[in-house]
Amino acid sequence: MSIEYITQPIVQIEGLSKAFTVGESSFLALDAVSVAIHPGEMVAIMGPSGSGKSTLMTMIGLLDQPSAGLYLLDGQDVGQLSREEQARVRNQKLGFVFQNFNLLPRLSAQKNVELPLVYGRISGGERAERARSALEAVGLGHKLNSLPNTLSGGQKQRVAIARALVHNPSLLLADEPTGALDTRTGAEIMALFRQLNREEGRTIIIVTHDPEIGKQMDRVIGLRDGRLAENILHEYYGVEAFEPVKERVKVAA
Amino acid sequence: MFKEQVIMALESLGANKFRSLLTMLGIIIGAGTLVAVLSLGNSLQGQVFEQFIDLGTRRIAVGPGDPKAKGARDIPGYGLLSVQDYATLERVVNERPDLFRTIAPEVAVSTEVRAGTVAVKALLVGTTDQYRLVQSVPMEYGRFLTPEDEAAGSRVGVLGSQIAEDLFGTDPAALQAAIGRVIEINGQPLEVIGIIRQNGGPYATDGRVFAPVSAVRLRLVGNLDIPGRGMQMTGILIGIQSEQVVDAAEAVISSALRSTRQVPEGAINDFRLDLPTQALSVLSGINGAITGFIAVVAGISLVVGGIGIMNIMLVAVTERTREIGVRKALGASDGDVLGQFVLEALAISLVGSLIGVGGAIGLVTLISSVAGIAAGISWIGVGLALVFASAIGIGFGFYPARRAAMLLPIEALRYE
Repeated sequence: MSIEYITQPIVQIEGLSKAFTVGESSFLALDAVSVAIHPGEMVAIMGPSGSGKSTLMTMIGLLDQPSAGLYLLDGQDVGQLSREEQARVRNQKLGFVFQNFNLLPRLSAQKNVELPLVYGRISGGERAERARSALEAVGLGHKLNSLPNTLSGGQKQRVAIARALVHNPSLLLADEPTGALDTRTGAEIMALFRQLNREEGRTIIIVTHDPEIGKQMDRVIGLRDGRLAENILHEYYGVEAFEPVKERVKVAA
Repeated sequence: MFKEQVIMALESLGANKFRSLLTMLGIIIGAGTLVAVLSLGNSLQGQVFEQFIDLGTRRIAVGPGDPKAKGARDIPGYGLLSVQDYATLERVVNERPDLFRTIAPEVAVSTEVRAGTVAVKALLVGTTDQYRLVQSVPMEYGRFLTPEDEAAGSRVGVLGSQIAEDLFGTDPAALQAAIGRVIEINGQPLEVIGIIRQNGGPYATDGRVFAPVSAVRLRLVGNLDIPGRGMQMTGILIGIQSEQVVDAAEAVISSALRSTRQVPEGAINDFRLDLPTQALSVLSGINGAITGFIAVVAGISLVVGGIGIMNIMLVAVTERTREIGVRKALGASDGDVLGQFVLEALAISLVGSLIGVGGAIGLVTLISSVAGIAAGISWIGVGLALVFASAIGIGFGFYPARRAAMLLPIEALRYE
């Protein structure tokens, strides 16, 4: 194992809890979870429905506030930041890919991809250039001006991936990225993620139900009832992890 | 960023054209009404003024002082006007062409006029051709007095409409035929040279007969002199250059009259000055009240338009909750989202007010060309409409925009 060479995790979570109140009662969606994810890792968060995997993703993505616990993103205690500062962190360090793509329907592919740069106050010329090259990188250089509803599911998800990468974030978060795609297209999208991880060293976290995806990951973080669960692939899904992946040597970015 | 948000706001308007237009309707009507009313109000006010100018808004009337007034001095002939006063004022009028246009005498005597067997009471007014410059005298038939009539002391008269109808009937042909006839006034012959159209108002000519002063004094009435002061006058009408010089003209007239009439320091004026200011202020007051009322209605329409904007923005925020979530996930701050939706509301109100203003300008131009009113666009109204509409857009757009801005990213993303 070569994890020891890595000086600083990208995501470091200590005792993170999230309570939701429903009517009179409240329950813990996350119960004192501690996780560390290192640069260059490609990790799946898995678990049954209601296990808290989406909530954990939400916390990592700074889309919601935890009830308790510590979250260091790239060494920075982001739990203490104001809403404004959290928005800036999302804009600079995080890239999101959603199950249902979440492209803005009135914007062309290129304009969708430009969005993170708009909020990053990047000038129009540079935005267009970077959006074009991001779309070319996902194989959609010929669809720059297409509206989302003219694209296939796989193409939409490629646009979404280009949008999640155009601002060169430290961490790519994907929530069921193949959930709305057929098997073949889903496999293509997963291949794209793997390529991004292997060739560009992107750190990628994927929330998924699919044990086939889980098998291909460097590591699987299992959750059950808001707590970490060991060997979730075997215990819950009945499959074995794809072992040799872990042998790769990783170097801190 | 601002540029992007402006583009976003306009695109969002374009995406829901019909809905945007309906939402704008209140603003369009409000802004349009405001501009139209202020523009037409201005010119209508101007028109009404022009009409009243004929009736004497550019005139100061000098009348006799009231001997029973408090502070009146106990001297013979107190308050009476004479040709001496007229001569003094005539000199002043000629010296100050910047203030005065002209001067006309009024020597009025109650008389009886007779045509054949019909006799009526009439006020005989001796004056000059200048009278037409200080008093509206619209001629129906014939002509008014001329300088030649005055110089010759001609026995000619111009009849007010009431007198003419009493003497000759209402038949136009009969009235037309009356020109050139000789009537009797105080037993003296008088040739009818003109008949004045009916015109009411405080200085109505309807019950009057106008004749040259010289003829009135020498041939029709006889001795009108005040002992030692020459011919008595019932009034002196002085035309002034504009409504703006009323105060200055009044001061000049007053001081000239006090001096020539030897009014002691501290004593009240022994003459009366009728200024046009009261009439003007009443007029502009009425006009202002009407304009103000309609402007308030326009304002209410704008506010109702604002409520429409608030409503549609709340709908937009709900409809686009997921979009807000996506934008926030991609790094939009609360301020970015707030700005986007406020700008959208502002765009609705501003575009709406521009449409309204454009429509109003078109309407005012149309009305002024069709109705022949010289209506200028009230640019103050345009400015008011745009500023007010913008304020309403921002004001009513703020609450929905703030709701959008305060959404938690995850709640917005999960919204179905």
